[in-house]
Amino acid sequence: MRLLTLLKPELADWAALAVPDARSGGLRLQGGDAVGFTAVISHSAIAGTRLDRLLRTGNTDVVDGADALVQMLPYPALREELAGRGLDQLLAVGLNARGATLGALLLARRGGFDDEDVAFAARLAARAAVALDSARLYEERAQIATVLSGALRPPSLPDVDHVQLAARYRPAAEHIDIGGDFYDVLGSERDWLITLGDVSGKGVEAAAVTGRTRQSIRTAAHFDRHPAALLRALNSVLYQDGSDHFVTVLCAWMQVAPDGAHADVEVAAAGHPAPIVLRADGHVAQLEVYGTASGMVPDVEYRTVSVRLHRGDTMLMYTDGVDEAHGAQGLYGVDRLLALLPAYAGAAPDVVCEAVEQHVVEYVDGRPHDDIAMLALTCSD
Amino acid sequence: MFGLIADDRLPEYLRAVASRDATAMRSLMDRLLGDGADPVTVLTDVIATVQRDNGERWQRGEWTIAEEHAATAMAVAATKAVSRHVRLVPPTRGRVLVACAEREWHALPAMIIDCALRSDGWDSILMGAATSPVRLNQYLQDYGPEAVAVSCSVLGSLPATRRFIEASTAAGVPIVVGGPAFGRDDVRAKALGATAWAADAQDALVAVATLPAVVPPATPLPARAVSEQADLEHDHRRIVDVLASTWSVTADRRLGPADAEVAVDALNQLLHAVSAVLLTGDSRPVPETAAWILDVVVPRGLDRAVVGELAVAASAALQAYPLARAIVDTHFTDEL
Repeated sequence: MRLLTLLKPELADWAALAVPDARSGGLRLQGGDAVGFTAVISHSAIAGTRLDRLLRTGNTDVVDGADALVQMLPYPALREELAGRGLDQLLAVGLNARGATLGALLLARRGGFDDEDVAFAARLAARAAVALDSARLYEERAQIATVLSGALRPPSLPDVDHVQLAARYRPAAEHIDIGGDFYDVLGSERDWLITLGDVSGKGVEAAAVTGRTRQSIRTAAHFDRHPAALLRALNSVLYQDGSDHFVTVLCAWMQVAPDGAHADVEVAAAGHPAPIVLRADGHVAQLEVYGTASGMVPDVEYRTVSVRLHRGDTMLMYTDGVDEAHGAQGLYGVDRLLALLPAYAGAAPDVVCEAVEQHVVEYVDGRPHDDIAMLALTCSD
Repeated sequence: MFGLIADDRLPEYLRAVASRDATAMRSLMDRLLGDGADPVTVLTDVIATVQRDNGERWQRGEWTIAEEHAATAMAVAATKAVSRHVRLVPPTRGRVLVACAEREWHALPAMIIDCALRSDGWDSILMGAATSPVRLNQYLQDYGPEAVAVSCSVLGSLPATRRFIEASTAAGVPIVVGGPAFGRDDVRAKALGATAWAADAQDALVAVATLPAVVPPATPLPARAVSEQADLEHDHRRIVDVLASTWSVTADRRLGPADAEVAVDALNQLLHAVSAVLLTGDSRPVPETAAWILDVVVPRGLDRAVVGELAVAASAALQAYPLARAIVDTHFTDEL
């Protein structure tokens, strides 16, 4: 679009591009009167035309007259644009870069093009082609990365009867949207497993391990949802993996009472900060549960702690990006978190997560921070 | 209390907000939209209207911050329900990124804009609250959008919004801005180099539909103002500390703990307003903030003289920042 904007009106009154469209396998026509216009036509529609030839040879071609225009511009609406401007000559220049022809630049102008114009258009096309080719290469790489990272983004949360769930994720490398923290919620009806964890390290490499960890947890949970057994299995798998990364995980197995009046949660921790329980009356406490981080040593046993959540009670699970956030006054710390929460007693988990996220990010005040993940669950009606 | 808008769906909506029950809110929205209500009207005349009133209640001290958050959560639940509804139909137009710059934590207006754009056929992508320019750049490259829409509620986010404008226009992508921080006309938006300004969600739809395809990079802002604003931002906390120790309201602890936080926040707001004036050349944010501080402190039992006292304290605290100091000296009392 930028190229087309530059060309008009200095070099041409009308300009369009014809480039192969990777997605559809057809030919994309872009520009004309409106730089934003695009249309895709099939390759068979241009078979044997002068445009087809130019796209194969990469040469420059000037076509004159309505009949010849059909050969070079196989799209009636664009030909009408030319006719409307009283133009019937078209200069077509191959876009050649790095040994390949990427497409064609089509130009028209009142008074036609002399030899000097054609030579200038060819030089310009050569430069534009290199830029377009770089953009194409970059776009392909970006496409691969986008698809792969899509699988590593945090999942959307399921709807659970009688319990509201909310989560937040702010990776250290915010622009890539993925990082070493993860969470997952699986289960059905009244029986749920909620996990939240942190792979050592940051960025893409850590993100790749989160994908494996989440999958291992899902598989293990298929056989046994008891947190202690699950963390034991995960530890073995990650240890045998022999990866340099270790993983800290919180694992909460939640059973919701049939009438929704309460939920019983059994929690185990593998080297991870314990969850904080915020009661509806504002009382706040961190659970006491410890355990070795996953993937460091073989055969670890985990202990669990149980807690009953009543209506309006919230349990907040978080990663160390929260309590170890660095600000002007040192570490954010669990105490600041415990002091902040009572004001949000009885609030929806969304509200609690948002408040903590905002508080921590403002505390950090633009300094680099670790991945921040939070998951809160609140017993509701 | 809702001005001239008398939407007959308001009472039912207010009951749902008061119930604090997200599921009830979802079913109400599903029913309204299922009955054929226009999604954009529901967003602007019901959800946004009530939300403005929520903000005012907090300002008047009628609501605690947690109560305001809880009411906002209900508005978010309502907007999400509308969003789910409008996403049932595939998009028919190009991509638009909807974002808030750093220091902007009011995610709801952006959600509403995202939802309105989507219902108008745009393939909108919501980037959420407090987004860094680096992340916006990544999205500009990854998604190649036709436009960016930025919502800015707080003055403190205007400098970061300017960085969004630089990022977007550098990529040739036009950018529409709106929200209370821009005021009631396009002066600040133009000054910051935005392609267009939108007064509300309806206006944003018109603006996005009529943008140029490609825009040139935003022109640089006045160098002296930019450099002083950068200093001001860097020294923000220190200046607030100085102000808090000299203004009698904060220094003599004349308010309870919750209201004391509000008073310190007023100091933050004042400095952000000064920054906004530096960058946009529009002097109104400073007197408007002074008037806002008056509205906040008087219901909390303080004499209005404390606001005048703040002008003197601010002028002294800004001694090392000549442009900023001149702004306070000249404009602080314009509306008092």
